[in-house]
Amino acid sequence: MVMQDSEICRDNSFTGRSSLKAGLRIVLFFAALLLLLALSMLLGPSGIGIPDLQSPSGSAILSLRFSRLLMGMMTGAALSASGVVFQALLRNPLAEPYVLGVSGGAGLGATLSILGGSGLFVTLGLPVVAFIAAVLTLMLVYLIASQGSSGHPSVYSLILSGVIVSSICSSVIMFLVSTASVEGMHNVIWWMLGSLQPVSSGQQLLSAALIFGGLVGIWLLSPRLNALALGREMAHYQGLHADFVLVVGLLFATLLAATAVSLSGMIGFVGLIVPHVMRAFFGPDNRKLVPLAALGGGTFLVVCDALARTLLAPIEIPVGVVTALAGGPFFLIILQRRMKQAWIA
Amino acid sequence: MEQAALTFREVSAGYKHRKVLDNVSFSVREGEFVSLIGPNGCGKSTLLKTAAALLKPLSGLVELFGQDVHRIKPALRASLLGVVPQKIESPMAFTVSQIVMNGRISSIGRWGTISSRDHDLVERSMIYTDVLGLRERYFTELSGGEQQRVALAMVLAQDPKIIMLDESISHLDINHRQEVLQILMNLNREKQMTILLVSHDLSLSASISDRLLLMDSGRLIKAGRPAEVLDPEILSMVYKCDLRVQQDPYTGYLQVSGAVDSLNRRKQLNRNVHVIAGGGSGIELYRRLLIEGYEVTTGVLNRLDSDAEAARALNIQVVLEQPFSPVGSDAIAEALKMIDNADTVILSTVPIGSGNLVNLELASEALKRGKTVLLAKGIADRDYTEGKAALQIVTKLMTDGAVGWQSIQELMLQLHQHSHS
Repeated sequence: MVMQDSEICRDNSFTGRSSLKAGLRIVLFFAALLLLLALSMLLGPSGIGIPDLQSPSGSAILSLRFSRLLMGMMTGAALSASGVVFQALLRNPLAEPYVLGVSGGAGLGATLSILGGSGLFVTLGLPVVAFIAAVLTLMLVYLIASQGSSGHPSVYSLILSGVIVSSICSSVIMFLVSTASVEGMHNVIWWMLGSLQPVSSGQQLLSAALIFGGLVGIWLLSPRLNALALGREMAHYQGLHADFVLVVGLLFATLLAATAVSLSGMIGFVGLIVPHVMRAFFGPDNRKLVPLAALGGGTFLVVCDALARTLLAPIEIPVGVVTALAGGPFFLIILQRRMKQAWIA
Repeated sequence: MEQAALTFREVSAGYKHRKVLDNVSFSVREGEFVSLIGPNGCGKSTLLKTAAALLKPLSGLVELFGQDVHRIKPALRASLLGVVPQKIESPMAFTVSQIVMNGRISSIGRWGTISSRDHDLVERSMIYTDVLGLRERYFTELSGGEQQRVALAMVLAQDPKIIMLDESISHLDINHRQEVLQILMNLNREKQMTILLVSHDLSLSASISDRLLLMDSGRLIKAGRPAEVLDPEILSMVYKCDLRVQQDPYTGYLQVSGAVDSLNRRKQLNRNVHVIAGGGSGIELYRRLLIEGYEVTTGVLNRLDSDAEAARALNIQVVLEQPFSPVGSDAIAEALKMIDNADTVILSTVPIGSGNLVNLELASEALKRGKTVLLAKGIADRDYTEGKAALQIVTKLMTDGAVGWQSIQELMLQLHQHSHS
């Protein structure tokens, strides 16, 4: 990644050069993404390198790797972009889909539909049920947080009630799992651990459409997210429908998170850390941040998945474990060096 | 033509369980420079929020250039009215130019397009507020004065016709305050921009404003030219302290002062005051009397009374009696000794029952011994004795020459007069 003396950016006599550097940085970022994606196509439990395309098994392996790459891109992009939005709207570095109970709610909805539904309902209904459950959870969180405040809940009460509702959701999931049949239990736990095993093509298409729609929606909203960084009140003074932006932003972010959860289970870390790192490198301007975080988050998850299926082959490590174990220290170092460019801290 | 830029028509406003603005009516003409003054918590910020349609009035109407402010589309409202808050905070590391660009947010197209007019306005307002050189710096690492200028630039980028500032300059040091004020005055003169400035600095407000609006407890007390509003009597009442208004002999500006006077008096005063209180009615009296420089004694008080606690904490000499027992002769004798020492005896708004009726008798005794006695008015509502004994004593005291007081401010004036007679 680009190493650059941050002092140069801040010195106003270098304005022209700094924008040139920012452009260069983005070009390098894209090059790195393409390289990493290509590398991850080479990794798999069957061996490292391009499989023999002449044999039927070889092309099957390659197409399997490619569909996992698509799964990873979709899930990672959705989680990271949703994290960007939650952090911008709540003006808090802790905000992410998990903290507000959105992932927990989506997980609960998904669990219910895995255990209760069957056939087509599971494949196509899963994202929808997850989204509805996530929205209901978000509404519940908002309602609890609003109690006692005059009108609008504070960020702190939102996060507090989100954490509480989130842990209630996971208790209910555990209860459902413990009373489920062996087969149901197996399905739910597999799904919960998080995995980029390709789902049915119907669900993939639906999820792709939902995620694409959510990303576009958020990107259109992104200039307004910038204005909300100074708070609801200031955004109102500047002529925004601040509450409208807040609600629409939360809905889009919830849609993304819920779709990601229904697609690949509970993969933590991506929605929290990737937005921070992207902000540290490219600044907090959400117009740039939303697409960059989506691409960066997707690639990050694809790489983690490639490692997960290769490192202990033929055993596959849950990808959530890799995101946290491999990504954690790496990102912490970056954040420690560049936090100033992202948050005041 | 001069028209009304901002009009409040009988506006009451507030929050869920608390009404803050109470039937406020006023009008600010286009091109006027108006300062809104008043003590902390009097509703100045609420007034700004109501004017900017952040708060909906409970009743009444707020008009911006003749239109109901709640019916104006947000984007149009932002092009009419800009608000500079006390402080803007960005948790994320936005650069100065990104922050200022927020002023154009309402005109940015659906696809995020920024027109050349947007760019020009941003550039121009950054030049005007002299923050162009800071454009690539992080907003959060600027000094308070620089941040405030950036906030002003952001609001100017809205290209509004009115700017309202909520104590935005109070915490700036003097040179930055002058600088921001100079910018505001230039905007007012050169661009006919209407300015509504919330300020704590009365003298400063008087020197720069066409008109002042004085608020107290959610009501508009007085509106008019600085010389009309800065009336020492009204100000002393609103701010609950002794204030003076003097004209600077060189500039002709009005100067409001107060605190220095009280300090001087403290050294000269050598007057003793005995306070008869109880049930917490004495705490504010003790505080004010001590600040004004009087020697204070008090009693007889029940040992567990909150006034007794306060007196001990303030190091005031106090006569105490055991709780739940009648006031004994020792205590009375000691209290009389204090009264003999005092020049004036003050009776607080303490409710009188059979248990502390003896305190009223102390007051009668004081009057007999030639002391000035100042009684809180409205005893009839606080008389819990059988056969209205307290009311009878107080009525007799008043005919014998005791003086009634209504507010602490009034009491202080009376004390002041008696000290000098």
